[in-house]
Amino acid sequence: MKHRALPTALAAAVALAGCTVGCTVGQEQTPRAGGAAAKKEITFLVFETPNLTPQVWDAAIKRVTDKYPDISVKKLVAPSEDRVSYAKQLLASGQFPDVMIAVSPAGFAESGAMAAFTPDELKDFQFPGNGAVHGKVYQLPTNTQTIPVVYYNRDLFAKAGIGAPPRTYAELLDACAKLKAENITPFVIGGGKDPFASTLAWTATIATDVYAKTPDWMARRRAGSVKFTDPDFVKATTKFADLAAKGYIDKKDVSRDYAATEQAFLDGKGAMYPMGNWFAAAGDDPKRKPSWEIGAFTWPSDDASVVVPAFTGGGLSVSASAKHLAEAKKFALAYTLDTANLDNSVHNDGLYPAIKGYTPPADTGAVFKLGYDLYRQGVQADRVTQAFGWEAGDDGMPPGVVDKWRAAAQDLVTGSRTVDQVLASLDDDWAKAS
Amino acid sequence: MKDARLPWLRPVVALVISAFFLVPLYMILVNVFKRGEKITQSPASLPAPPTLDNITGLLTRTDDLFWASLTNSVVVTTLSIILLTILSAMLGHYLARTRGRWARVATLLLLSGLMIPPQVILMPVTQVLRAFGLMTTVQGLVLFNVGYYIPFGVFVFSGFLRGIPIELEEAAAIDGASRSRVFWRVVFPLLRPATASVLIFLGVWIWNDFIDPLVILGPSQGTTITTGIYRSIGQYQADFGTVFALMFLATLPVLIFYLFLQKHFVKGLTGGATKG
Amino acid sequence: MAVDVKRTAVPASATRRSRGPRRPALDRLRAFALFGAPGLLVYICFVLAPIVISFGYSLTNHNPFNPPTRFVGLRNYQTLFTDAEFLTSLRVTTILTVIVVIVPNVAGLGIAVLLDRRGWLYNALRTVFFTPMVLSSVVVSIVWTRMLDDEGLVNQSLRALGVARPPGWLSDPGLALYSIAIILSWQMLGFCVVVYLAGLQGVPVELSEAAAIDGAGPVRRFRSVTWPLLAPALTINTVVLLISAFKIFDHIQVITHGGPGTGTTATIAYNVLQTGLVANRQGYASATAIVMLVIIAAAATVTLRVLNRREVNL
Repeated sequence: MKHRALPTALAAAVALAGCTVGCTVGQEQTPRAGGAAAKKEITFLVFETPNLTPQVWDAAIKRVTDKYPDISVKKLVAPSEDRVSYAKQLLASGQFPDVMIAVSPAGFAESGAMAAFTPDELKDFQFPGNGAVHGKVYQLPTNTQTIPVVYYNRDLFAKAGIGAPPRTYAELLDACAKLKAENITPFVIGGGKDPFASTLAWTATIATDVYAKTPDWMARRRAGSVKFTDPDFVKATTKFADLAAKGYIDKKDVSRDYAATEQAFLDGKGAMYPMGNWFAAAGDDPKRKPSWEIGAFTWPSDDASVVVPAFTGGGLSVSASAKHLAEAKKFALAYTLDTANLDNSVHNDGLYPAIKGYTPPADTGAVFKLGYDLYRQGVQADRVTQAFGWEAGDDGMPPGVVDKWRAAAQDLVTGSRTVDQVLASLDDDWAKAS
Repeated sequence: MKDARLPWLRPVVALVISAFFLVPLYMILVNVFKRGEKITQSPASLPAPPTLDNITGLLTRTDDLFWASLTNSVVVTTLSIILLTILSAMLGHYLARTRGRWARVATLLLLSGLMIPPQVILMPVTQVLRAFGLMTTVQGLVLFNVGYYIPFGVFVFSGFLRGIPIELEEAAAIDGASRSRVFWRVVFPLLRPATASVLIFLGVWIWNDFIDPLVILGPSQGTTITTGIYRSIGQYQADFGTVFALMFLATLPVLIFYLFLQKHFVKGLTGGATKG
Repeated sequence: MAVDVKRTAVPASATRRSRGPRRPALDRLRAFALFGAPGLLVYICFVLAPIVISFGYSLTNHNPFNPPTRFVGLRNYQTLFTDAEFLTSLRVTTILTVIVVIVPNVAGLGIAVLLDRRGWLYNALRTVFFTPMVLSSVVVSIVWTRMLDDEGLVNQSLRALGVARPPGWLSDPGLALYSIAIILSWQMLGFCVVVYLAGLQGVPVELSEAAAIDGAGPVRRFRSVTWPLLAPALTINTVVLLISAFKIFDHIQVITHGGPGTGTTATIAYNVLQTGLVANRQGYASATAIVMLVIIAAAATVTLRVLNRREVNL
């Protein structure tokens, strides 16, 4: 073999390849030299949204590492808000992060990938048992979200001659009819690449018509003693499907992604926007604030009794195989209980921290207060239920079924399947998945 | 030939059709230089006055997302296409010039590789890479790219080689040159159009690849530019101006590369196309 | 031009006969080690071996979150053919593939004929048609989503033209699949134009002129002179479109997530990832993937056979 004959390209390739063996490409590793050698590095999986920018994450992490100088944190960013699928990919490819935020523990917990928290570690949480899997908590139950709150456009309500927000379901339908008569689309929903945005009104009817009566419906579904095709669930689903059939929900909305949907409501494209209370972050943003006033009410039940669907969870989890498990847990708890971080979660995401002794800061925005007051009413009346489709762990559906349920919501909105067909196939999907 | 009657008809029709075809590209281009709120109101209007904020905002991100992922993309793409060109030209030559059943079987196996969706093999690939200790490394991603895209290279090169008379090689071999010398000195220079099309197609595909770098490089090694855009959409989802700027910046390098090689590659591709 | 008429006309068997002389065994081994082995080795490691592993999983009930993994034989495959979800995705993928094979092929041929002229204008327009080829699927998907949105450019224009209720391109369950097919066709059109243009430029002017002197009109000239010489271009376009359309995943993920509603745009590739990564049923997902591979391979082989035979007969 005569190497002289090889073209320069080959030599160049070999040289380049040889180089990359030595040099790391990409983000710098923490320097190993000197006093930093004692630092224990943990990886932390986050995701970015318009409010949770890289700067916000970095600052939040720094507050904790300043407190614990022996820990250094390497931030990993999920490629989309669907961090659960990404965490699964990482687990399957042997790259499971040490700590992760807002990754539902379903599956991870049962298979031993996540470490459980002890009761002592959970002592500062208001609902320490929330989201448990086989009785153990794998995700810190950090904050409560009401899903949904019905935000509404006061201008459009006034235009349609609706004086006060509806208190019963009949009043809600009446309001819808008045809006429709004025050529105003009553509800704004979304979909497209964010199918969850199609479902919020359904979550609401399930809360008022199923969960209010049977708070442990999901546990019973797991046990097989209730079904989707039972009368209460049919009633809740029919309510939702009828909203679309009557034209109170625009079929075309099912292709609009979440960001555009939020903007559509702020642009006055519809009168009511059932959404998680995190909408407060956008509603209170001075740059996006609409010219009209935002109001809010809780989805009305038939008899005007208050029912507030809410979910507590969303916090950090720790990998069972973290190299520095103790530090990872220490970081997770310190990150969660840091007051500045909690205040930020109120400001940036409109969340209600479920930490004992914590009260939201006084300078929260008007839209946040609307949602928070409605939640407090629910707590006082002791009428807080789970939010269907959002539950985690033992309270949730088997993996994959929630996606079928979201697709089913779009079927109902577009009218391509009937209530009976949708519910029967959900029972099938459940059987297949469990 | 000339268009005898109505000489203006062809250019007019061509222009009208192109104009329609161009709309999505035009949308990217004008919206890069518009402010977010204007994009929703009037997506198709010209940017007046134009703004560079969308672009500068990205280039000056403190975490260096753009520059770091650009570097990764350039390194991965360059290494992959150089290795692919060399290996697939040699393999293509070998298969085109070897008789017998075994070479035909190998060709068939390679051709079937053209049809494999990456999702089918991605998870097992990570197992293989871990076994070699190459998971989450640039070398691992490059090697995977070589394996995954080599059928295309072989397809183009061996097709093109069939149009090159073997007598050239035989004459050089009689003069006493070794097989590699004959290949690199005599044959490879003749393959230039095929090389151009392999470089451009594989360059574009590897540059635009999303799922493989996402999983193989993993989260801790930084990202490639395509994975980077997708990731940033989370942060900028409400800010369409920045989303368009990201798409524009991610496409620009590969577009330049493509325009640069455009002249050559068509020949190479059809050389391979004549006998599939 | 590379596609020269003489070469295309030579039957494949003739070229094969003129290949290299038989070499002694040692020589052959050295040639293999030097030229064949490196490429094949990488291919085996990163494509063939993973397929074998995938096939192995498809015979189990593997679910990383629900151990233990048990061998279930061909049960996954049996289930597939009664699984409504899979059958729907098969239908969706087939419709998508048929459209994407036909539309860019036909439109690409038309545009190539239109642009087959010299001059700066045609050079510039060619570049216009080629450009979408360098865009990533993510970019294409995002731009088109914005355009087909109810508030997007297309419906804004339709409303300006007086259409009161323009269609919901991506929200109507009966329409979304076809919208996706149009997006894909737009993206792939450039490839077809390139290949046809190259084929057209290989058509010797003399042949066409001779036919013109014989009194053949443009349509006849195209049918009897140009079209037969474009046979290889048709083959490569059809096969490439077939293979790429059948594998579509990115666009679905970014534009519709398989919706609106249940499975209206969920392709097989999209289902493989949903079943494997979201529902964790990886054994079943592997079986789906293997079936998908077999279908693509069969479709591509049949297409190649048919088109190649046609090339020879022309």
